[in-house]
Amino acid sequence: MRRILLVDDSHTVRMYGRSILTSLPEVQIEEAQNGIEALEKTIAQKFDLLLVDVNMPKMDGYTLLRELRSRPALWSIPAIMVTTEDKEEDLRRAYAAGASFHLSKPFDPEFLRRSVALLLGEGA
Amino acid sequence: MSVNDDEFVWFRDFFGRKTGIYFEDNKRYFVDRRLTARMQATGHKSCLLYLRFVQFQASQSEFQRLVNAMTVNETYFFREDYQLIALVDGVLDDVKKRKKPGESIRIWSMPCSTGEEPYSIAIYLLEHWPGMADADVEIIGSDINSAVLDSAREGLFTDYALRSTPPAIVAKYFKQVSDTTHRLLPEIREAITFTQVNLSNPDETRSYRGFDIVFCRNLLIYFDSTSRREAVECLYGALNPGGYVFLGHSESMSRISSLFTISKAADALVYQKPL
Repeated sequence: MRRILLVDDSHTVRMYGRSILTSLPEVQIEEAQNGIEALEKTIAQKFDLLLVDVNMPKMDGYTLLRELRSRPALWSIPAIMVTTEDKEEDLRRAYAAGASFHLSKPFDPEFLRRSVALLLGEGA
Repeated sequence: MSVNDDEFVWFRDFFGRKTGIYFEDNKRYFVDRRLTARMQATGHKSCLLYLRFVQFQASQSEFQRLVNAMTVNETYFFREDYQLIALVDGVLDDVKKRKKPGESIRIWSMPCSTGEEPYSIAIYLLEHWPGMADADVEIIGSDINSAVLDSAREGLFTDYALRSTPPAIVAKYFKQVSDTTHRLLPEIREAITFTQVNLSNPDETRSYRGFDIVFCRNLLIYFDSTSRREAVECLYGALNPGGYVFLGHSESMSRISSLFTISKAADALVYQKPL
């Protein structure tokens, strides 16, 4: 079973992401509402992939990724960064923070599934 | 260093979303070879790391290099010349009769690859269309591939690209620069404007308007069905009422869209935007 953590402050977006990803085989989905909650969950439990929104209260997506990458046990977890636009500055910051892949909202279900499948496959 | 199935499928999807071009499974070897070459050129040890690099690179220069590697199409002068015959034998006269004095006839060659098509059109009109005497014709060649555009502007062609060109035409319009290479005369080179455009990007195609004739040959066959329909709608928007589209000989507009009226000019099928 592969475990995916959906990190987004919007309940709707988490529901949407869950509805798309549950069709992947052998996948279990957990949720977190902000960076701090995500960091705590990732430290306490094992995840195979994170889907991280950029803009969140308490701790944003960039900070969360930097926190993950600074911990030896978590530095290589695949993480897809979700931004609202393909802004150059967002891409640069996401890359620097250690994002594995990038998607922009609104994401296409098929492309999200493909990206997740690719990153989960690499960890196998 | 290789490309696995998931990486290929992901890349095909990613590339298709940006360009409209969809690689069928039988293009796997073609795609893998080019991806691997770009991985090596950029010093990436795995395909996944390379794909990460491509999507995050803000300048998009690596994506453009990939586009250039994936979209090279060999062509030659006066290819499918029955369409050029149709042009001078009906189509241009029809367009010209609707023009007011001083209005130019605008022809768009998209995709133009290394320039053979727009240059062929220019030479063919000079040679065979009497209407040139009092018409102002503007020809624009466009392509998504920045490297072929550089080559088109350069105007150097091998014997192979001129294999269907009558020797008298080669002698008249080209200067031999080596045993097998010929340079198109500057007056023809300068008559064509070359621009880079991605037909799948509405932001890029928005300014392409007011054309009378579009040559869009052997491009839509590489598109997925959605991109194909959107591309045809883009061509429709780019044309003046009464304007014409020429497709490749194996392509059919009727399977894509009902926006155009089909008719025959000389031996060619042409698609006309209703007046």
